[in-house]
Amino acid sequence: MSELLSVEGVTAGYGRATVLHQLSMSAGQFGNVGLFGPNGHGKTTLLRAISGLLRPKSGTIRFDGQPITGLSPRAIVARGLIHVPQGNRLFPDLTIADCLALGAFSPHARPHEEANREKVLVIFPKLRERWRQRVRTLSGGERQMVSIGTALMSHPRLLILDEPTLGLAPKIKDELCAAVLAISKGGVPLIVVEQDVEFLLELSQHLYLVNHGEVATEIRPGQTMDHAEIMSMYFGH
Amino acid sequence: MGASAEILFGGLFQGSLYAMMAVGLALVWTTIGVFNFSHGVFMMLGAYLAWQFLDIGLPLPVVLPLAVVAMAAIGWLLQASVVRPLIGRPNIVLVVVITTLAAASLIENGVLELWGPRSKQIPPLLEGNTTIGGVGVSLHQIAIIVITPIILAALWLFLNRTRLGLALRAVAQNEDASLLVGLNVTALYGLAFAIAAALAALAGIFLGGYRFMSPVMGADPLLKALIVVVFGGISSISGPIFAAYLIGFFEAASNYYFGLYWTPALLFAVLILTLMVRPEGMFVRSSRSLA
Repeated sequence: MSELLSVEGVTAGYGRATVLHQLSMSAGQFGNVGLFGPNGHGKTTLLRAISGLLRPKSGTIRFDGQPITGLSPRAIVARGLIHVPQGNRLFPDLTIADCLALGAFSPHARPHEEANREKVLVIFPKLRERWRQRVRTLSGGERQMVSIGTALMSHPRLLILDEPTLGLAPKIKDELCAAVLAISKGGVPLIVVEQDVEFLLELSQHLYLVNHGEVATEIRPGQTMDHAEIMSMYFGH
Repeated sequence: MGASAEILFGGLFQGSLYAMMAVGLALVWTTIGVFNFSHGVFMMLGAYLAWQFLDIGLPLPVVLPLAVVAMAAIGWLLQASVVRPLIGRPNIVLVVVITTLAAASLIENGVLELWGPRSKQIPPLLEGNTTIGGVGVSLHQIAIIVITPIILAALWLFLNRTRLGLALRAVAQNEDASLLVGLNVTALYGLAFAIAAALAALAGIFLGGYRFMSPVMGADPLLKALIVVVFGGISSISGPIFAAYLIGFFEAASNYYFGLYWTPALLFAVLILTLMVRPEGMFVRSSRSLA
């Protein structure tokens, strides 16, 4: 399998603060990609650079062979590279129905709107019960479901999930993990940032440890890596 | 009968104009989060454009849409030149107050230079008068009273029943999330300004068919629209619409019972009271959203 996404020597940050230092990674050749590492070391910044919310200072990002560095988020969404940000507040005063309709705003997603909506409601049947409810009235777990559902409406060819289970109660978390696995089985490749290493190992065999704005370690399929080793990398020795 | 009919018509007429103005202010605030102080000038320029088009011999039914569309384009341009470059600055609210005030001053003096200080008038939408409940009203006023709710309802339907309207409501609530579903945020900001300017132009043409026009004719309606949005709450468009009619009736009643001179003072008393009791406005939910 060829690389669906490649990040080559990307340096990015906010104002004078540089967060990513010449970071390189790729996704798509070994199925799902898992990113992990301590907070504040650039995972979210990397994802914002990929989806066009943040313009890298240098480096190249390619999606499906085409450079997408510096393109608008809209142009990147139109290529099917969809990003669900961490702790997405979404649109507090829109209903679930409205959010999903917005997800299909991009012209490439319009023809698939009906089919995608059915898929979303199969993965998250709870959303059907709350169909006309405003996002602000939903629980954290339900809001995360709407976030991911909205992203699925954008007809993703690659879906980026930034900490989809952050701060959720264990039962809801299990529900979301199952949903994410179902999305992956449905044929959408994923890039997932997650603190739950157990879940990450279940989802993906291709992992990156991001530390100090760089890839500290890359784990490819075949390189067996058990939980304890990852934990020790995570927390240092 | 005479008193109540007079207050009713006066209130409906003023309320219509205020609603048309206030909705534009609210639309810009909810989508971009800035206050547009050139809104009154949009109104004035719309009326002058209509006058100019009429002067070169175009008929009113052509002039009306032409002036409104031209103002929409001017609103878009103004947004692109004095608002968009500042988006993302932490002090944007204050800076845009200054830039739109500056633009207003430039346009006002430009109009004075171009068309001169002599008062102008454009013909009413409908000629003639009628008497209802013992009160004489012009057909022009009745036309405005009827047309305004239709336009406001159309705006409401656009915001609530179309995908583009949905996008406008969304961009008001979360810019990052809007970008990530592929909305063209800058175009939506331009659209909000364009719609606001078009509505202001319409209000200007309505007013210009009723009173004499001057380059400063937008100042008072802008002030009243400000009172309306403070009173009704600026975080939706339905709040200012209700408030506009309420203020219209209040003004008409106050004019009738206390006279023209006392009305502004009473109006500001109401405004100050509102700010003390409910600083977020009378008809609001707690957040910024359209419709």
